Amino acid sequence: MQGVLGAFHELDAAIDAIEALKKEKVGEIAVFTPTPRHEFDHVLAHPPSNVRRFTLAFGLAGVTFGYWIAIWISDYWPIVVGGKAIETWVPYTIIGFEVMVLIGGLATVYSMFGLARIPRLTMTVGYDPRFSAGHYGVWVKTPPDRADAAAAILEKFGAEEVRRER
Amino acid sequence: MATTAVPRFDGSNQRPNIPTAAVRLPAVKSYEQVDEEIMRTMRPTLGWFAALGIAILCMLAGATAWTYQIHEGLGAAGYQPPVMWGVYIITFVFWIGIGHAGTLISAILYLFRAGFRTSIYRVSEAMTVFAVMTAGLFPVLHLGRPWKFFWLIAYPNWRLIWPNPKSPLVWDVFAILTYLTISSTFLYIGLIPDIAVLRDREKNPVRKAIFSQMALGWRNSDNEWRHFTRAYLFLAAFATPLVLSVHSVVSFDFAMALTPGWHATIFPPYFVAGAIFSGLGMVFTIVIPLRKFFKLEHYVTLNDLDAAAKLCLFTSTVVGLAYLTEFQIAWMSGNGFEQDYFWNRVFGQWAWAAWIMLLCNVVLPLSLWSQQLRRNPTWLFILSLFINLGMWFERFVIIVPSLAHEFEPWQWGTYRPTFVDYSILLGSFGWFFMWFLLFIKQLPVMAISEIKEVIPPKLKRPFSFAHDLTEGIVDPDEVGAMH
Repeated sequence: MQGVLGAFHELDAAIDAIEALKKEKVGEIAVFTPTPRHEFDHVLAHPPSNVRRFTLAFGLAGVTFGYWIAIWISDYWPIVVGGKAIETWVPYTIIGFEVMVLIGGLATVYSMFGLARIPRLTMTVGYDPRFSAGHYGVWVKTPPDRADAAAAILEKFGAEEVRRER
Repeated sequence: MATTAVPRFDGSNQRPNIPTAAVRLPAVKSYEQVDEEIMRTMRPTLGWFAALGIAILCMLAGATAWTYQIHEGLGAAGYQPPVMWGVYIITFVFWIGIGHAGTLISAILYLFRAGFRTSIYRVSEAMTVFAVMTAGLFPVLHLGRPWKFFWLIAYPNWRLIWPNPKSPLVWDVFAILTYLTISSTFLYIGLIPDIAVLRDREKNPVRKAIFSQMALGWRNSDNEWRHFTRAYLFLAAFATPLVLSVHSVVSFDFAMALTPGWHATIFPPYFVAGAIFSGLGMVFTIVIPLRKFFKLEHYVTLNDLDAAAKLCLFTSTVVGLAYLTEFQIAWMSGNGFEQDYFWNRVFGQWAWAAWIMLLCNVVLPLSLWSQQLRRNPTWLFILSLFINLGMWFERFVIIVPSLAHEFEPWQWGTYRPTFVDYSILLGSFGWFFMWFLLFIKQLPVMAISEIKEVIPPKLKRPFSFAHDLTEGIVDPDEVGAMH
């Protein structure tokens, strides 16, 4: 992967640089930030995460399975008490709810892993340990002929370090 | 991810007990300072080794007593008809309750955007996981043949027997296993960005390799944060009703039984409020010494303690109201057995336990109406010890007098805990604190990435706190000309 990386110590400088890079259309932009900042969400304008779809789908699957297993157990091993139904949905709501939370919660986590592409065995190009401390990284994936333009923008907006990676 | 992204710097003359959810950490100046000060807490000290040694000794005392009990049978634990639930079930409910405040602080207050949670939620969340791990031991300890505990779990088996899904004890299994899984997942997910910080700063190659594995290759990229923040929100949204359901289910263990003092519809909200109250007590017990020993007073500020103390006061009043409502229900029910039981509760055999409960859970927390005491860490710590004691006795008062004073006089009896009960109770504290002490020296006690979120970022143009999108691009040459 070829591109240019700029390391910024100031948030607003990184934001300005991203806006300028977007305006110049020099390449695909990724940001490394020690903490999530709404400013980056706004400037990068990514669509909402799809985690919610997995949460909903597996939550519904979980509640269905929870009710089903309770009903199936009651049919398989009936405990017959005079005047009472073999299956009763009110107490089974507890099992349905708990299984919904369990399956829905775990699906949320695993979908986050999948969408965020983790676990990752190696650090891909562009990462620097400073980005988990106090620096912001702006990575521009760009072909060599546009790299100079990208580097010039990053430098102009105050990047502490600009380096080309391949 | 943090609850408050933009601290207010309006300079208004606010009272010290800030009425808003805004969190301010004026003594924390930079992201690097956060890394440095929080990672400093992970260096082992002599005091830590001493505390860990004491915790392990207590745990071994409990393990020894359990071994003795397995050899001798449950009679060694003082059980005799009619009181067949005693210290073990009391302590089980106590520890489950302790766990609830952690989820309240980490999940519910997150959804409510209560800023004061930011610096204490990691500790509270770890407390939840270890408290539930501790609580989960007690139903197993209570079994005559503990090695068959897995028979409660619904899975295809050679016995062709399945658990009864209408039994509150089976609901407990589902609820507690789900709670343990979700709360430990919630803790780990929140830790991933912080473990990445540790990975990037660690010098020791072995520890660095371990942190690298645990961080899952986290790089702090915008794509990772985008999915992470959404997943964290949904986990919080799941954990919120879960925490309410778990203690409701625990209360059903009692409310479903036809026993005086137990068979009441008030039990679920009463138990949930009590659980949160007791958990807040334990949060104070843990957080106040931690902020002192680790010199983190500028992270866990008096404003944070003040806000948590208000929550503690609120839950105390709810618990107090529940106590009174129980008496009112008995009085208005016209049921002689119920009335007799409640009379016995406050004037009978175990009246001293009921009065300890009322003193610790209702009377002493009234001191928190005073702002001066809410902002006094020493008093909050002392009060938290009374709350822990009072909440243990609340469960004692619910369980033992009810079983010892059922409908007919021939059913009445007594209960005397033995050294086995006391040793296992002590062992549970040892087990809990052993895990907790190990946690605080291996992983950050505060959420580094969330704290960074609430402190002002470093800016090139300090006259504007955040980037104003309406400004468009600010050309550096123009900024130079402005100055």
